[in-house]
Amino acid sequence: MSKIPLVPENTKPLPALGENQGMLSWVASVDHKQIGIMYLISTMVFFVIGGLEALVIRMQLAKPEFDFVSPEVYNQMFTMHGTTMIFFVVMPFLIGLGVYLVPLMIGARDMAFPRLNALSFWLVVFGGILLYYSFLTQSGPSEVGWFAYAPLSEKPFSLNKGPTYWALGLLATGISSVASGLNNIVTILTMRTKGMTMRRLPLFVWMILVTSFLLIFVIPIIASAFAMMLLDRLLDATFFTPAHGGSAILWQHFFWGFGHPEVYILVLPAFGIISEVIPVFSRKPIYGYEFVAGSTVAIGLLSMGVWAHHMFAVGLGNVANLYFSLASMLIAIPTGIKVLNWVATMWGGKIWFATPMLFATAFIIEFVLGGLTGVAIASVPIDWVATDTYFIVAHFHYVLFGGSLFAIFAGVYYWFPKFTGRMMSERLGKWHFWLTVIGFNMTFFIQHFLGLMGMPRRTYTYHDFPYWGSMNLLSTIGAFVLAISVLIFIWNIRRSLKHGEKAPDNPWNAWTLEWATSSPPAVHNFDLVPPVRGRRPLWDLEHPDNPDEPNAKIVL
Amino acid sequence: MNIWQVLSSTWNMEPWVLISALFLLIGYGIATGFKFTKLSALFVSGIALYVFALVSPLDYLGRTYLFSAHMIQHILLLLIVPLLLLLAIPEKLAKKALSVEPFGSIMKVLGHPLIAWFLGVGAMWVWHLPSLHDMVLANDNLYIAQQISFVLIGMIFWWPVFAPVESRRLSPLTSTLYLSSACLGCTILGMLITFAGAGLYAAYMTPVDTMGILPLLRGELCLTPGVDQQIGGLTMWVPGCLIYLTASMVTLARWYSTEENYEISTTHYKEIKNFE
Repeated sequence: MSKIPLVPENTKPLPALGENQGMLSWVASVDHKQIGIMYLISTMVFFVIGGLEALVIRMQLAKPEFDFVSPEVYNQMFTMHGTTMIFFVVMPFLIGLGVYLVPLMIGARDMAFPRLNALSFWLVVFGGILLYYSFLTQSGPSEVGWFAYAPLSEKPFSLNKGPTYWALGLLATGISSVASGLNNIVTILTMRTKGMTMRRLPLFVWMILVTSFLLIFVIPIIASAFAMMLLDRLLDATFFTPAHGGSAILWQHFFWGFGHPEVYILVLPAFGIISEVIPVFSRKPIYGYEFVAGSTVAIGLLSMGVWAHHMFAVGLGNVANLYFSLASMLIAIPTGIKVLNWVATMWGGKIWFATPMLFATAFIIEFVLGGLTGVAIASVPIDWVATDTYFIVAHFHYVLFGGSLFAIFAGVYYWFPKFTGRMMSERLGKWHFWLTVIGFNMTFFIQHFLGLMGMPRRTYTYHDFPYWGSMNLLSTIGAFVLAISVLIFIWNIRRSLKHGEKAPDNPWNAWTLEWATSSPPAVHNFDLVPPVRGRRPLWDLEHPDNPDEPNAKIVL
Repeated sequence: MNIWQVLSSTWNMEPWVLISALFLLIGYGIATGFKFTKLSALFVSGIALYVFALVSPLDYLGRTYLFSAHMIQHILLLLIVPLLLLLAIPEKLAKKALSVEPFGSIMKVLGHPLIAWFLGVGAMWVWHLPSLHDMVLANDNLYIAQQISFVLIGMIFWWPVFAPVESRRLSPLTSTLYLSSACLGCTILGMLITFAGAGLYAAYMTPVDTMGILPLLRGELCLTPGVDQQIGGLTMWVPGCLIYLTASMVTLARWYSTEENYEISTTHYKEIKNFE
């Protein structure tokens, strides 16, 4: 293999991580790989907590008129479940994966601002602790839902400390997200190795770039809304209290002005993972690279102008509803383009269904289902019927679980050998996969019907209407199947860390730069970065006679 | 009167529009030699839209009864007509024109992305200040000045993205940033107008009903002042933004369709060769 040194060492070395300093070498680390791993571990912890909260919710709903927990605890559980999964699982996982992979994929030594990177991570941990600290207060955590609509979240309706901790914790993670957004953008724009032009950027990096722009544009909206909410709660301001001249709808605008782009913050990096996994396991270059990258930009821009479709039932007026309905449906076009590209990449390929590919394939199917119900409820009359029912719950779980989380699992199985130097067990992986697919669809598919039959979301319990009890029980059983699958996943990670098969540098025969270095990568990432002359540097290296871009000109 | 009668009887052949259109067409013809090409088709369609926006019922209704009609006209004149006109300028002609002083240096200043951005977004914001807009509706000369300023400023706004001379254009990714931030500027204004509540522009609240069509508009078509203003605000917001978005996609497509070179230092090149 021909490799050349291209990564200049920093003139002032970064604080070094000693080999044998135990935990301190992690806590004090500014190395992007260690920070990335810490992101992944902390999100696993929050994932388990959020999952347990989901189990409490499903237990309570297992049969009609059940009183497994009190109504207050039930409200706390669905509030904390939503908040945790969005802000402390999916978001930091995807950001953390980016922190680990982006410098490796573009052939850089580290992120542009390593210390800021560490700050971003520790702010997430800090925010999570603040959020969960509310369990220790007398009145318990927030009970007002992950959307915290005013005036319910305001005085005098919520006098407990929960929502205050909630807003403080999320404010901390908001600062963290903006910082990592900036860090990603600067890293991607300025630290690419020679030859890694913007048009050769791995698609995962493209998605992280667009996501980062979304982060720095939309997180400030919600951060300022949190600040206003805190002012209302602590200093008796009245931004969101109509009785004193404020506006409760304003909170909804702020929340969804952030909340809808947030959906794409949660799903674009997942698209990136899928766009890396599918070509490698189909043994074909991605079909229509330009369209995947370009449609991401379109999604990013469109996503900022459609939030009011979360507010069709608020009474913005028919005209506003009509415009937002149309704009929302438009997003299906760039998203559809992506799905088409993935399928076309698989078409005629030599598909190898290892666990990452299984999850990626399932991602396409589940995500398309979530997308289709999304287009349906973008239509105002359908939304008026379905809004605030379990139909919506089913829809967004298909997008965020069937979408983001399936991609996250695919990513973990795909990059685990690189992170740790060991392969994950394929046998356990397949168990994990099938149980996840079965459990997931069992839990959430039935909820579409429950929703259309009128079961409202966010309610403590329900009457014994025909079939409601059995359908809910089925959903609850599905949730427990999911719980078992997660246990298998964790067991797989633990077991593979200790006894997993030793991983070679490039176990999947992939083409992006992170596979050119050792597994796990050395502290300085690369001794030698391969020359980049196309979108698949490792392919070009192995097939000098058949490069991707035979006509690529080198300008001296 | 029904709606079709209104739409057919409110065409307003204003001489200044027709004369300026004719003048532009002849000027373009002389400069390019009266040949029918793709570019000249763009120019003619740009002029046709320009005339349509200013003589059709959009103009009459927008000046008297309906804010929404004004907004459609505004989007046409600020975003679409100038883009078509700019795209129609042949590269050779533009190069020749830019070499003539002081035109070259003026365009260097006006075409600077920061200035062009502020002019483009500023034109929307300033002309829609409620008091100014009401003044424009009451004053014909000011009205004409406003329409002409839309087209001129629109051309300046599009210049950094679609200048006929490639060296004057921003790089594709910077263009996307330029356009998306402009989209944000237009979104915020659209949002303000949409959610402001009826009566932001006093003139449309109680129009002088010379044609006697107010009951038709307000009753049969449900275009109450509140709805009318919402349609206007949303037209600026959603379709307006889609224009910027489409333009971003066009710049990306253009970028991907060009050949890519990358620079590498001689020593690196030698190293690569050595290792092979």
